[in-house]
Amino acid sequence: MRTHADSVAAATTLAAGAGEATAQNAALQALLEGIQSSDEQVRTAAWRSAGEAGAAAVPGLAQLTEHQDLEVARAARRGLWQVVRQAGNPRTETVRQAVEAGLLELLNSNSSPALQHELQWMLSEIGGDAAVAPIAALLEQEALREDARMALERIPGKKARVALKKAFDDAPGDIKPALAVSLRNHGGKAPGVPDDKLRPVRPTSVQALASEGGAS
Amino acid sequence: MSTHQNLKLSRRGFLKAAGATMALPYIIPSGVLAAPGRPGANDRLVLAHIGIGGMGGFHLNDMQRFVEKGEVQVAAVCDADEKRLADAVTKTPAGAIPYRDYRYILERKDIDAVVIATPDHWHAVQMVHACESGKHVYVEKPACCTIAEGTAMMNAARDNKRAVQVGSQGRSEHEAYLAHRYLANGNIGHIDRVDCFHYPSPADDEPVPDSEPPEELDWDLWLGPLRWRPYNKRYAHGTFRWIMESGGGQIRDRGAHVMSCAKYWMNADGQSPVTVEATGTPPTKGLWDSCVTLDVTYTFKDPDWILTWRQPGDPVPKEERRPDEPEISRPGYGAVYHGDKDTFHHWGGDGGTWAERKAREWVPAAGAVEVFQSPGHKEDWFNGIKTGAPTIMNIDAAVGVADLCNLGNLSYLLGRKLQWDGKKRRIIGDEVANRMLSRPQRYPYHL
Repeated sequence: MRTHADSVAAATTLAAGAGEATAQNAALQALLEGIQSSDEQVRTAAWRSAGEAGAAAVPGLAQLTEHQDLEVARAARRGLWQVVRQAGNPRTETVRQAVEAGLLELLNSNSSPALQHELQWMLSEIGGDAAVAPIAALLEQEALREDARMALERIPGKKARVALKKAFDDAPGDIKPALAVSLRNHGGKAPGVPDDKLRPVRPTSVQALASEGGAS
Repeated sequence: MSTHQNLKLSRRGFLKAAGATMALPYIIPSGVLAAPGRPGANDRLVLAHIGIGGMGGFHLNDMQRFVEKGEVQVAAVCDADEKRLADAVTKTPAGAIPYRDYRYILERKDIDAVVIATPDHWHAVQMVHACESGKHVYVEKPACCTIAEGTAMMNAARDNKRAVQVGSQGRSEHEAYLAHRYLANGNIGHIDRVDCFHYPSPADDEPVPDSEPPEELDWDLWLGPLRWRPYNKRYAHGTFRWIMESGGGQIRDRGAHVMSCAKYWMNADGQSPVTVEATGTPPTKGLWDSCVTLDVTYTFKDPDWILTWRQPGDPVPKEERRPDEPEISRPGYGAVYHGDKDTFHHWGGDGGTWAERKAREWVPAAGAVEVFQSPGHKEDWFNGIKTGAPTIMNIDAAVGVADLCNLGNLSYLLGRKLQWDGKKRRIIGDEVANRMLSRPQRYPYHL
């Protein structure tokens, strides 16, 4: 059986004479075709190899996360994560920056909410100062703000802390406690805001059995 | 909300309960007559069970033997699944009060201790909250899902002076004691390598699309600290084990048993690896994302030794046992200890732990090294509650084992070797990897 790795190798070899850019395009094309394969082994080999493609693979993989075939969409999402995880390698700072830029471009576009949730968590792992403002802007959107808060909490540095502080100062009452937690976890201060973590709010409809012994 | 509103009592029961409530809220806390915060040696402990499916169901049933002896009382049960909760109520005598939200239990001053057997992603948050609320804790293994959760758990137990037992109960098994004693007495010489083996994690062969959660399940509460996502029936129940975020695969399930034995028997509870390197293969379809095969190597320094976790590794065929000995019912996992004089192996490592014959038949000579023999995992916890003695799988030891599981998975996810500084609890020279030592949590389900 011809594997995805074989396809990538063949494409790379064929394109070798035509220059590096052509070879990369051919490899990227092979990757995206592999992700869309009906053979689960080929799909898996493809998404596992996606990290090598780096930032160039981000738009194509992101598009495939919306594929109607759930397994293709899943493979694309996992491929995107491979790109992110490999980009975080401390020896490849330029790759990290390029992937971060690719993710931010998608975050600022009309991506689906599902993809935007995912992008925020990806940026929480590899995003730097450049990611702070675009993520902070999502705190304004009710459907995205909880993930945005958590993503900012994870991004180190003064810029993320300042963004959390500003969001905390400006926030309406309902999300202030959550922002206070993130701000404190980031090393900032958020005085005077109670934390509801120990307050029970979810009663059950199940009743205790009648018992001769009663409650005790 | 009054916690009484869940009661459905007969008239006679109601009058009795009402009388008790007027005099004292709920049950008299067992610690009233003992040292502050610590029940007396002969006091009956008042317990609540949080999470009563799977292992939680086992604990609820198992606790009956202590209820029957009058050593404990089960005052409350809790679960995010109302069907499970209703079922648990029918199995729990003496009017235990059901709750969906564990925080009602933490408010009750009459409850001394809680048994937490929820999905892994809840362990740290509920354990920390329970300690902060003054409860002693038995929490299922693995202790935690991230390094930061582990740190918070150790701090919570220490700062609140609570007795914590983590459910790596293999340490308390009789044959674990025999194995420990055999190795501690140098019978295989100096040990420099332990190879754990375990059959692979399953792959999801029945993937389904996301859907509405079943009516009885409080999906938001089930997710708790995890980022929100739509329900998919392949998450729960039980199958959370195969999701990296919540269960972490075999390494966080049985690894928390087999490697618990290794660290204990190697006298390495306080020792951390200096490097962790993992490779693995993922499932080829479906929601589950924990690896099917996995190969992790941990190196330890001062003293130097190597620990490996291998799925499938090199399983040891099960040993023939005498008719009077318990049969090895789970030969698919265990470990091989390599000494400079001999090797030793065991199977299982959890509630079923079987030692190789030579350890079972070894008779210590006068002056032999003795090792701690647990009276039983729960008994050891009760003793810790009443005396303050460290438990056999105390939270520091359990976090040390969970660190192995979590760092193994992290190395697999990142595809690179990690250099670990166990004292600082940081990865050396890898800023992105360090971010993944913690995971932001949904409000209000946070540490």
